[in-house]
This record gives sequence, C-alpha cells and structure tokens, in this order.
Amino acid sequence: MPPLPPLDLLNLPDADVVALAQQGRDSAFRELIRRYERPVFSLIYRMVRDRELAEDLAQDTFIKVLNHIDRYRPEFKLSSWLFKIANNVAIDHLRRRQLETVSIDGSPHAQTADAIEATSFDVVGQQESALDELEARELGTAIEQAIASLRPEYRSCIMLRHVDGRSYEEIAATLDLPLGTVKTYIHRARHELRRALDHVREGGGDDDG
Amino acid sequence: MNHRHLLPDEIDLLLDDEVGFGVAPLKAHIRDCMECRTRVDEARFVVDALEDLPHFAPSHTFADQVMAQVPVFVPWHVTARDTVLRWLPQSRAARIAVGALAASAASIITLAILWIATQTDVVTVASGAAGDEVRGLVYEAGRQVLSTVFGDQMFAIIQRTGTVGVGAALIGLVAAAAGSIAGLRALAAASSRHRA
Repeated sequence: MPPLPPLDLLNLPDADVVALAQQGRDSAFRELIRRYERPVFSLIYRMVRDRELAEDLAQDTFIKVLNHIDRYRPEFKLSSWLFKIANNVAIDHLRRRQLETVSIDGSPHAQTADAIEATSFDVVGQQESALDELEARELGTAIEQAIASLRPEYRSCIMLRHVDGRSYEEIAATLDLPLGTVKTYIHRARHELRRALDHVREGGGDDDG
Repeated sequence: MNHRHLLPDEIDLLLDDEVGFGVAPLKAHIRDCMECRTRVDEARFVVDALEDLPHFAPSHTFADQVMAQVPVFVPWHVTARDTVLRWLPQSRAARIAVGALAASAASIITLAILWIATQTDVVTVASGAAGDEVRGLVYEAGRQVLSTVFGDQMFAIIQRTGTVGVGAALIGLVAAAAGSIAGLRALAAASSRHRA
C-alpha cells in the first residue's frame, strides 16, 4: 500500500496537532513531545534537582497527557495542561521526599566523575569569553541555588513566569491557584531571590565600578 | 516630584512591563527617586537572571521512551479515510480524472439497477429464488451451529419445540456471545488503563 503524504506539523498550532494526535497520528504525538519536552523537563528538573528522576517524572507527565489526549478540550491551552500535570507530578514527588539543595556542579547522589558531569547544569551555552563564562557560571550557580532554596509553590510560579514566560492568569489556571495567590507567590519569590543574589549583584557592581 | 516611595506592588508592575495608565507616574517617579530606582534595578537584576536561564534538554531517547508507553489508537473512520487517501493520486489533475471515472462508473451502475427494477417479472422470479436459497442457507447454518453447541440430542429436543424454541435458543446463544465479547473488551480496557 502506498504511504500517506507526510504531514507538515511544524507550523500548525497546538490545537491542530492535538486533533491529529486524536486521529492516531504517531507523528503528531512526537511533535507535541518535541515542542514541550524541554520546558516540561526544565520545570521538573528545577523542582527536583536530579536529572534521572526529572526525566522519569517528565516521562510520566507526557504519558499521562498523551494517554488521555482524547479528553483534551481546545478551549484550554495544551501547555497549561502539560505544566499542570508536570507541576503536580513534581510536587507529589517532593511531598514524598525531602528535597536536598544541590550544587550546580552536580547531583549530591553522584558517585563518580562521570555521574557528576552528567548531573551538572549547563548554564554557559553561548558565552564568548572565559571571563563571561566564569561570570555566567557564577550567576547561574547562584540563581539555581537560590531557586532551589525557594518553597516548591514559589518555585513553580517563578519558573512559569520568568523561564516559560507565562502570564499571571495562565499560571493561576495551570496551578489551580487564585490570581492573587500567584501574584503573592511571585512577589515573595522575587524578594527571596533578590536577597539571595545580593552578594552576586554587589560583586558584579564592584567589577563594573 | 511625587515623594511617596513605590510600594512593592508598584515595583512588580514595572518589572512586569505593564503598560496601564497608572504606570507612567511610577516611571516618572523612578527617574527622580534614586532610592526607588535602586530597588527597581535590584529587582530587575533578578528577573533578568531568571529570564536568561536556559531550558534543559532531556536525553535524545526521551520521545521514544514516552512513545513506547503510549498506545496510539487509530479510529476506524480514520483508517478507512487513510486507506482511500493512500490510493488517491497526489496531483489535482489526476484526482479530477479519478473522480470523473468514479462518477461515470456510479452512473452506469445506477442506470443498470433502475433498468432491472423496471423488469418486474424478472425481479420477482429472481428475488423469490434468491430468497429460497438464502433461507435454506440460513436454516442449515443455524442448524449446524445449534447442533454443534448443544449436541445432537439437545438439538433434537429444541427442534421438537418448534420455531419458538429454535429462535429462543439462537437468541440465547447470540446474547451469551455478545456478553462474552463485552466482558473481554472491558477486561482489555481495564488492563490497558492499569498499564497506563
């Protein structure tokens, strides 16, 4: 039997890709994973601070969503649904296990140099010089550690707001929280982060001055 | 100059780049007030650092691992449509040609059916003969099925009860088969949900 012509999914909105997934198009499922694997994985990774665990939880998130794709209603954003499940999966895990603060240089569970490398954060992607790289790494380390020290509720709000660029209303819908609570959480998270990053900012200010 | 310093909510408005009518006075205030400008700059430093954070990538096998646990269900109407689409030519001209050919064939068949319908005698005789043949086949098939399921002796008893008895036995058999199929489907669905 001749094959069907390939679908051009790249430029389709989420709702259309979901409709194709509901028709059993394997390529549509994969396109949804391609679009959201990084944001979902990043959110969970920053919540649980363990790459292997984050990957397992991100897989659980996608499996839950894609197995129930027939229940998706197009009046809601797919990303909100995905982030809601991802956040719930991460929060559930954190409730079961006390979170340990880890260094950007690798998971505290890493036993070997390879494991440390595998679990370290890559925050220096496109820096031009060694000095830039060092400064970015220092700031990246500091902010990742500061995020890790936030309450999980603050953490998911601040990540959705500033890393994923969601509006307050979207975050409220995603996390099932009142709009005022979301604003309060984000305000407090910013305040705590600002205090935690004081030493980095003052260090940078000294260099500039 | 407004000498009231900015409230935390007002600093948040500036950080979120709000553009409402109340924002202009706040912007004007921080131009003149060093203390508030410093507070906004400090908060902006955090927001910029957050917005510069990268997205992490999962392993390159992530999609395959997810898809291995997602059963893709293709509805029957999509399968049917795909089957048709696979055989349809890609170019518009070829599709028009195929459509014209199909329309011609459908017209000829329709005309043939209409012509046969006008031949009343032929249709009556042919349908009567076909009806007898079909009845005979159905009766024989039913007899074979009941005889196989209930055994020859039980079938003989059922046969003695007449048409009503045979009909009741057949209905009971169909109901039992339908119940079994529904039970198996429910079992399969529950198993699938459990795996998911």
